[in-house]
Amino acid sequence: MILITSLAIGLMFGIGIFQLLRRNVLRSAIGLVIISNAVNLFLLSSGAYWGESPAYVDAAGQRADALPQALVLTAIVIAMAGFAFVMAMIYILAVRYQTTDLDDLSRLRY
Amino acid sequence: MESILAVLPVLIPLAGAAVAMLLRRRRRAQESWALGVMVLALGSSCALLWVVWHEETALVYAMGGWQPPFGIVMVGDALSAIMVVMSQLVLCAALLYAMGCKDQCTYYPMFYPVFLALGTGLSGALLTGDVFNLFVFVELMVISGAVLTAISDDKLGTEAAFKYFYISMLAAVFLLLACGCLYASYGTLNMADLSVRIMADPSAPLLPVAVVSLLVVFMIKSAVVPFHFWQPDFHTAAPTPVHAVLSSVVVKLGVYGFLRMNYLLFPMYMEQVQGALIVLGVVGVFFGGLGAAGTYDVKRMLAYSTMAQIGFIVVAIGWGTPLALMAAIVYAFNHSLIKAAMLMLAGTVASRAPVKTAAFSMVTGLGRSFPMTGALFLLGGMALAGIPPTNGFVSKMAVFQGGVEAEQLGSLGLIAVGGIITLVYVSRAFSRIWWEAPREGIRPKAYGDRVTAPALLIGLCLLLGLWAEPLLKLAGMTTQSLQDPQAYINAVMVGTHDDTPEPDHTASVGVPGDHREPVTE
Repeated sequence: MILITSLAIGLMFGIGIFQLLRRNVLRSAIGLVIISNAVNLFLLSSGAYWGESPAYVDAAGQRADALPQALVLTAIVIAMAGFAFVMAMIYILAVRYQTTDLDDLSRLRY
Repeated sequence: MESILAVLPVLIPLAGAAVAMLLRRRRRAQESWALGVMVLALGSSCALLWVVWHEETALVYAMGGWQPPFGIVMVGDALSAIMVVMSQLVLCAALLYAMGCKDQCTYYPMFYPVFLALGTGLSGALLTGDVFNLFVFVELMVISGAVLTAISDDKLGTEAAFKYFYISMLAAVFLLLACGCLYASYGTLNMADLSVRIMADPSAPLLPVAVVSLLVVFMIKSAVVPFHFWQPDFHTAAPTPVHAVLSSVVVKLGVYGFLRMNYLLFPMYMEQVQGALIVLGVVGVFFGGLGAAGTYDVKRMLAYSTMAQIGFIVVAIGWGTPLALMAAIVYAFNHSLIKAAMLMLAGTVASRAPVKTAAFSMVTGLGRSFPMTGALFLLGGMALAGIPPTNGFVSKMAVFQGGVEAEQLGSLGLIAVGGIITLVYVSRAFSRIWWEAPREGIRPKAYGDRVTAPALLIGLCLLLGLWAEPLLKLAGMTTQSLQDPQAYINAVMVGTHDDTPEPDHTASVGVPGDHREPVTE
């Protein structure tokens, strides 16, 4: 279980960073979502010592810690609000600049 | 019940933001309410600073009555208190400026509530004693700042907000990563508890990951050099009242973070962090200074200047002697006031320009019709460059003394040269706006933003320049309390460790159900 989780985290991080560095803003934003989820998974796994039983199931060494689950819940809610805002801004920028290429989205140069 | 003072500076703007939302149809009432709330919050944070100063202990408020290592605590120690007073002072001035501001965006019904939310996030991030709670408050601050910039009159505001928000989301990811690493290694997120456990066993393999992640997060927040690229763009496009807050106090969050990391959380990594901070700070002083000297826009110039000034603070933190730390705190406090005032004056000039912009091509020679603003700008510029009767001189002097005492003459010489660039760009801006003849066909508007707020701030700068002793004493006390993390730990972890000397009456815990915790779920 630990192996699967850690492989999944690594894979998601890799895919996320690859997507984040693309030139298309939408792909890049999706990369950010994937990285954020990889970190959420990491945070979750920091509490689930074995990851097989839910919280408060009292078999010594087998129970998962409940706190990281609460943390992840908070982080997911915040990330959701954040990504909704990012998507709204991407929409406005795409309509206004008529492009989603990051190189053309920089008019803030003096 | 003094301990409630540790949470009031966060609670008051939060409740005020909710009420301000209800007042959205009455603009006058809403803006007066927002200012009143912020002044009340400033009063509570001043009371916090007063109590902390006189009792020389940290005030601890446990949210919902949950005892420290388990629940979330708000800790008002000397560093947090002085930073919160600084932030709320500038926030009050910015609200005052927004009330007399001609920007369209201040007429949006959500402007003041979001502004108060920005204040809540900033105060909360400075006062919290819990790493995850820090993440929550930082996110609140970031999203409020980005929203306020996205609605800016400048039509590039959305692009600027997008850049900032994007890099901040990435910073949030790293902050979460640090939380995860610390929790996996030490099983707690309370800063005092973490400090005890990290000291007991600094060999956890995930600890360096957490240190580097947190360092990167705070560098992004403070726009320290390799992570500075979003800052001039973002700050230039923000509406003036928001720009004044972002460029002066929001960037100080990183400074606070460096101090907390070095002296509470990770003292064993202090040397490495300090080395990095000296190098990056010196690069920042030059990069920011030269960038400011090369721009064609007053607001952008001041945004670059923030990068340089943060460089001075960061170098002083890097030296790490008591005198240098005191200098860093004094510098951070004074720079907030100076930079906020300068930005507001730049915004006033921009509001008088025929087309609302602060570009030199548009504002050259405009100043002849408002000489008083010019006098204020000159005083502010002197403060920024560190010329006597102003507080800028006191802070620069303190930094140089700290450098001499720390025997870091190499970096001291470099930042002294970098400091001269400040004089170059400030005097260039002043002479372009107030000395040169206006170009043909450019006439200033008859009315612009009110200068009450910057005048008050400049007055405060002069006062702190002539009567600097209280601030220096306060900073000295803050330095002492920083170098004694055990006092912080004892105040927070009262009754939970056997080695705690005696229960401290100021660290009493709130009645359960008295106050709800504000943000986390």
